[in-house]
Amino acid sequence: MYRNQPAQQQRRSQPPPILSTKDDAYLTDALSWELLAAKKAHSFASQCSDNQVKYQAEQLCQMHQRHYNILLNHLSTDRQQQYADQSYPHFHN
Amino acid sequence: MNSNRGSYGSYQQHYSGSSSPTIKNPSAPFEKGPEFNDRDRLNDLLATEKWLTDGFNVFVRETSHQDLYNDVLHILNETHHACRDVFNLMFEKGWYSLHPEQPSHVEEHYQKYSGYQSQFPSQNTGQYQTGGMYSPRDY
Repeated sequence: MYRNQPAQQQRRSQPPPILSTKDDAYLTDALSWELLAAKKAHSFASQCSDNQVKYQAEQLCQMHQRHYNILLNHLSTDRQQQYADQSYPHFHN
Repeated sequence: MNSNRGSYGSYQQHYSGSSSPTIKNPSAPFEKGPEFNDRDRLNDLLATEKWLTDGFNVFVRETSHQDLYNDVLHILNETHHACRDVFNLMFEKGWYSLHPEQPSHVEEHYQKYSGYQSQFPSQNTGQYQTGGMYSPRDY
């Protein structure tokens, strides 16, 4: 499909906002890390007797859930569709 | 010059000898036995955050497009801050101690490496030009 790009296409200074196979592999890896870290922090928070440690652990849990959502957003079909439309109109179908 | 001026706030400074001071808070109580205690939990969380910064450091370097790069760099940065927060809490709890280097050693190294500045190959000696490619960037 890349062969079908018009020859007169402008030279890009940066890669288009399309996920590479490597991006996808790293994203799914990182999502697993974040989920595990969030679960661990939450589990530890529930076991802590020291309130400061408990609070810190819960903060970490929330941060990892936030990070998870940021990463997941890059895999969303809406976003991918949007990317494909603006960058490679001929990419799908 | 190396007298205790209380610049470490309320931290205790233990002197086991005349020359090996320790910067450390009084230890907060935690269970001292075979069970997984609060100190172990905080240590484990710190190890997790450190491990994550390694992972995201590789990830950010391998990203393709700018939006993904920005988001992953943001996550890397926040994860570093999280490491710092956990480290600071461990220090506050007195579960982490530091040993200050002797000021005479620091001074010696300052002199030595100040001398090496004469080897700088660029005339533009460390002064960043605004708008330059390698001017400081904040993330």
